[in-house]
Amino acid sequence: MEMLSYEFMRRAFLAAIFIAGIAPMLGVFLVIRRQSLMADTLSHVSLAGVALGFFLNLNPTITTMLVVILAAIVLEYLRMMYRSYSEISIAILMSGGLALALVLMNLSGGNSSTSIQSYLFGSIVTITSDQVVFLGILFVITTVLFLLFKKLMYVLTFDEDTAHVDGLPVHWMSMMFNVLTGVAIAVMIPIAGALLISAIMVLPAAISMRLGKSFNMVILISVIIGLVGMVTGLTSSYYLSTPPGATITLVFITFFLVVNLIRRLIIMIQRKK
Amino acid sequence: MHYIEVKDLTFYYDDEPVLEGVNYHVDAGEFVILTGENGAAKSTLVRSTLGLLKPAKGQVTIAQKNTEGKRLSVGYIPQQIASFNVGFPSTVLELVRSGRYPKNRWFKRLTQRDHDHVQKALEAVGMWEMRHKRIGELSGGQKQRISLARIFATDPDLFILDEPTTGMDEESRNNFYRLLRHSAHQHGKAILMITHDHEDIKNYADRQIRLVRKEDSQWRCFHMNS
Repeated sequence: MEMLSYEFMRRAFLAAIFIAGIAPMLGVFLVIRRQSLMADTLSHVSLAGVALGFFLNLNPTITTMLVVILAAIVLEYLRMMYRSYSEISIAILMSGGLALALVLMNLSGGNSSTSIQSYLFGSIVTITSDQVVFLGILFVITTVLFLLFKKLMYVLTFDEDTAHVDGLPVHWMSMMFNVLTGVAIAVMIPIAGALLISAIMVLPAAISMRLGKSFNMVILISVIIGLVGMVTGLTSSYYLSTPPGATITLVFITFFLVVNLIRRLIIMIQRKK
Repeated sequence: MHYIEVKDLTFYYDDEPVLEGVNYHVDAGEFVILTGENGAAKSTLVRSTLGLLKPAKGQVTIAQKNTEGKRLSVGYIPQQIASFNVGFPSTVLELVRSGRYPKNRWFKRLTQRDHDHVQKALEAVGMWEMRHKRIGELSGGQKQRISLARIFATDPDLFILDEPTTGMDEESRNNFYRLLRHSAHQHGKAILMITHDHEDIKNYADRQIRLVRKEDSQWRCFHMNS
């Protein structure tokens, strides 16, 4: 494996493995809670955080995290306000986030646009050791929280009214889940890119929901698909000299199409029998 | 002992009152039915009682402890539960097992006793054989049955059921009512059930609460028939 002889590729693969653990674990809940676009929304909002960092001359990762956490809280508040039309909250925040990002970029002068480009499309191969460590910590935190709160999240995701009657603090849990998703997105953005975050969070979950029968199985398959897709995408991008984030997303979309096609074929064959 | 006590509850949808001055209670060991014409805000009353909706006025008290001094547990089946999250990736067994989590099992493993409860609940509704099926693959009636199994697995002190027998045949309905009456009278459970089935249930329920239209109101507003 010639590519693993490079330090930057080893870091990239380690980052890919961590992302493959974090993104699908959160993604399954996002998809079932019909919040697939939340990752996309928070990615757009995070651009405002990056722009704010450049505008205030602060570390963009910190400003992004603060802005995304705030957006995650607002998102939950809007979701409660427009219960039957939860996509309204997504539309408001997505447009608001992009608008704010553009205004702040303009106010900071042209200097920030190049860096914002890297946040938009990601640069997994330029990941630093610190970022890998940060991702590793996030992976451990997400996994521990998942194992601790899996049963609570199962009931919350199944039906919020049932969760309330079972004695769960529904709004707090939703808010905390949104905040965790926001933090994960803020950390993953410089690596995967804002435009591709959503795909990496949602596609493995969408594929596994077609394959798994039980809740636990869906989560497990989702993480496995995330892992295989990330490693395949990264390897392909190295040999094809294509952008890593975009390649990984295309790999996931290919998986999605293949899985659905095979499923359809199996159903057709079973019906003919 | 009151498990539910509602005093002077008023509920508005936007600026329009739909419930006004409602008072009722449900005690441990009794099977109470809540009736009223279509649109009489029966589900709204139940949801306000549970804290799922916020009433404009009034006081709702749900007991903290049961008759044995332990934390009171509540089981709720909403209306049209059969149309729940169809894409939810779960087997029947997983869903019914989740009914045991409120029994202080959120952060603990389920015990053999919990598994026995789950099996009994699934057998009671005739769904044990289908325990490994994905819930999205079930028919409306089967989903109804596993919702009932989940609540039986929870074994709550207070059952709040919103038209749980929709789609059941007469025999299953009567068996179900018999089981509820037995749970109330023999095991001290409190049961509040919304129903349209006035005739069959007369033989089983202890008391009826009826929401009727307020004649002096310009709105389509309901209160209790006292």
